[in-house]
Amino acid sequence: MLTLTTLVFLPLVGMLLCAVLPSKHARVINIATSALVLVVAVLLWIRMDPDAAGYQFQEFAAWLPGVVSETGIQYYVGIDGIGMSLVLLTAFVSLTAAIASWNIEKQPKGYHMMFLLLLTGMLGVFVALDLFLFYVFWEVMLLPMYFLIGIWGGPRRQYASIKFFLYTLFGSVLLLAGVILVVLKTQSWSIPEVTEMARNAVAFGNTGGVLGDSALCLAAFIGMFIGFAVKVPMFPFHTWLPDAHVEAPTPVSMILAGVLLKMGGYGLIRIAYPFFPQAAVACGLVISILSVIAIVYGAFVAMAQTDFKRLIAYSSVSHMGFVTLGLAAMTAQGINGAMYMMLAHGTISAMLFMIVGVIYDRAHHREIAKFGGLAWVMPKYFILASLAFFFSLGLPGGSGFIAEIVTFVGAFAGPYRTLAIIALLGIVITAAYYLRTLQRVFLLDTPEVYKDKAKFPDVTGRELAVLVPLLVVTVYMGIVPSTAMDLYHGFIHETLVPLLEQASELGAK
Amino acid sequence: MDWTPIIPAAELTIGILAVIVVDLVGRGRHPWLTTGVALLALAGAAASAVLQPTLEVTDGAQTVLGVLQLDQFSVVFTVFCCVTGFVTILATVRGEAFKTPGGEFLVLILSAVLGMNLLAMSVDLVALYLAFELVSIPGYVLVAMRRADARSNEAGVKYVLFGAVSSAILLYGLSLLVGFAGGTSLAALGEAVAGGAVTTQPLWIVACVMVFAGFAFKVSAVPFHFWAPDVYAGAPASVAGFLAVASKAAGFIALIRVVGAVVGPAVPVAPDALTAFLPEGGALITIIGIAAILTMTVGNLAALRQTEIKRLLAWSSIAHAGYLLLLLTVWSEQAVAALLFYLIAYLFMNLAAFLLAGIVIRERGSGELSALRGFGRRNVGLSLAFAIVLFSLTGLPPFFGFAAKLQLFYVVFERGYVWLGVIGLVNGVISLYYYARVLSSLYFQDGESDAPVMRLSTFDAVFCTLLVVPILGLGLFWSGAWHWAQAVAEDLPLVMGVR
Repeated sequence: MLTLTTLVFLPLVGMLLCAVLPSKHARVINIATSALVLVVAVLLWIRMDPDAAGYQFQEFAAWLPGVVSETGIQYYVGIDGIGMSLVLLTAFVSLTAAIASWNIEKQPKGYHMMFLLLLTGMLGVFVALDLFLFYVFWEVMLLPMYFLIGIWGGPRRQYASIKFFLYTLFGSVLLLAGVILVVLKTQSWSIPEVTEMARNAVAFGNTGGVLGDSALCLAAFIGMFIGFAVKVPMFPFHTWLPDAHVEAPTPVSMILAGVLLKMGGYGLIRIAYPFFPQAAVACGLVISILSVIAIVYGAFVAMAQTDFKRLIAYSSVSHMGFVTLGLAAMTAQGINGAMYMMLAHGTISAMLFMIVGVIYDRAHHREIAKFGGLAWVMPKYFILASLAFFFSLGLPGGSGFIAEIVTFVGAFAGPYRTLAIIALLGIVITAAYYLRTLQRVFLLDTPEVYKDKAKFPDVTGRELAVLVPLLVVTVYMGIVPSTAMDLYHGFIHETLVPLLEQASELGAK
Repeated sequence: MDWTPIIPAAELTIGILAVIVVDLVGRGRHPWLTTGVALLALAGAAASAVLQPTLEVTDGAQTVLGVLQLDQFSVVFTVFCCVTGFVTILATVRGEAFKTPGGEFLVLILSAVLGMNLLAMSVDLVALYLAFELVSIPGYVLVAMRRADARSNEAGVKYVLFGAVSSAILLYGLSLLVGFAGGTSLAALGEAVAGGAVTTQPLWIVACVMVFAGFAFKVSAVPFHFWAPDVYAGAPASVAGFLAVASKAAGFIALIRVVGAVVGPAVPVAPDALTAFLPEGGALITIIGIAAILTMTVGNLAALRQTEIKRLLAWSSIAHAGYLLLLLTVWSEQAVAALLFYLIAYLFMNLAAFLLAGIVIRERGSGELSALRGFGRRNVGLSLAFAIVLFSLTGLPPFFGFAAKLQLFYVVFERGYVWLGVIGLVNGVISLYYYARVLSSLYFQDGESDAPVMRLSTFDAVFCTLLVVPILGLGLFWSGAWHWAQAVAEDLPLVMGVR
């Protein structure tokens, strides 16, 4: 029973239960299902062989035989350290978000059903090893997200939901174009098989890559890259993110920032880079420049925000810039740091959005300028918020610090050292906007309205149940980085980095 | 002479006569009886079309009177049109159109299906034109049937005027083709083109433009699409669905026959196909290619601003015609298979969309998007069905529309025209916006808070389910349908006449 299929389709069972049972049970079912998913994920993690190369827990089943190739499209799932670490993150963040969803009152049945469908889609993306299956999960994830923002969102939810949907679909069709080209030329739907072909092409000095034509490879890579970059989101494809975040309800923002943004980075690491290593090398400079713009520009824009949630949203843009920066460096350290950034940002950003949610539930607005002196009213909340802020800006002891330092070391070792130095500026600005926000929201004088203890109680037990686990994991990852790094380093060290190195040698000839 | 190919046509003709007789004898007091007769005729025609032994490729010369040919294509399209007619009649039983004399309506649908059956078999330009008219004329009347409704009358007049002009243009174009071919059969035309002397003449381009213009009217391709939104909006939803599906399919089967005769087995792929926009398949292919790009782009852009559901679906069906024309542009056996596959998906999606629109219009008395507000809560099943259909029309997995689009763009890429494919894919993104506007009305905008829960009748519920379940089922497991479409497309040489 302990299989990836169980893991992925467990939420679907929960969703059907939600549909059948009365709506007052929906939230309990959601939490129970998410908890069960986390348990299954952890059990799989324990049973995973840490030394084995390649994908584990593989499952094959004939699905659409004879489409394009003889075997056709398969139900093919499997997992390696990269996928496993993100599956664990997904299950964990989803459970905290499910707890945070406790007080959703509008159409709870529909909400929790969509939530669980989203969970299936997200888990599916990280375990799918068939390109068609991957794409199906990739898109299936969009539909519940669209409804979650559109029905349960804030006042401008219609605009935000359609903008989110249009941006990501635009990315998706470019991804689809890339997938069709790959399948057309390689006659294979299997991700490991195409990766192997790319490796062979590079090893035999074939500059044409998997598509047999370097220009076509470059076009396909750019298409796929944009497809994933929209999800990251990378400058200049990031503008959907602040709108979606501001309008989405708190738990959905947590999922959006904590998990959905990781899909882009995962796609780059799993598909775009290994399939087209030469094109990735060729685009390295452009990607690095865009990443640095995202880091610095994102941080500056965050500083200019007056809306608490928008500020956090732009900080995500800035932080996700490190992911693409680390990748574009194409060193083992850089990619390692990028991966760690995704995991660290997953828990920290979920925590930050919960922090915003807590105060929004009480004050019903998010204007930073209207807050002040909350530290004296809600001391426990203040402590949690300042910890989250400090970990996000890279305080040693939190996972963000490890992620940033590893990424920087990697980026320095890479070909674009100057850009890495400019990116350092982003950290300073990040510190500036977090400290300024901390001061304006929590310190200074408390306006009269917030002194009402009845209206502004300190964090409740339910909120603590969301925030504390996230905090614990963040600190753990900040102190013991090896747990996660040992889990996922296999693919990076043995497959991706050698591939990219050979490709850049091939390009230099 | 073997007369078996026209058995379905004969059954339909008998059905038409039987409906008239029953209606006259019963003085229109037994609508269920006439409906039953009509449905029986359609089912019988479809069944006997399937059961007919089709000709082998080598027997291509054996046709009825040399003008009607039975092959896989004609069987598939006969069944396709019979199913569409069947669904349309069922959808109308409880709908607005049935309040007018039921017998006339049934006769008109059966006549149009008869025309499509003959059109699907025509391998002769004169027969093709006659069948084409037999499809068109009942259509004009169907649109204008609600005599008391000014919009319906306006739509009817527009349809007749556009139809008459395009028929005249088509006829003139066909007469030029006959002149080039030295005979009326498609095989003769194919031989003449293969001879090579024909296509270099300037008049050849004129002939191609004119013939395509005639067909473009039927498939509502830009710039001959102007009638479609007005006509669909003026007609009852079920009739609009019939026109959008069956009438368009009829246009495509005729185009397949003509393009097959003119172009041959496949257009040659240009060496610079990766960067080229259009295949170099001669005048007809170039014209179709330009029309394809224009049709999908104009259709999608115009749909963005629509606020009435039937008009929106009309523009969406124009855009879909553009995708289908793309496949004619990159003409090959695989392309024809993908075209068939897409048409099947299109049948389910559009019939379901117009059926659902019809139900909403019946309930609310208006097809404005604002009338859809609050349906997400008033009827969960209906809204869910709507969502599935709209996502499928957009081409999102795991629905049938995605599988169809995947195969479509796969073929376009396979033929080497990456740019054409990318234009088509980006068009899909544009289309999301207007489909999502419908969803937005259904789910995101709150209607009157005291609006009661709306209950669907069992008939409507079952009917919707039967149309929507295949969209999901075939969206998840479509390899069987695809292999079947490929098998049908292997008959392509037969379609083009044996050379």
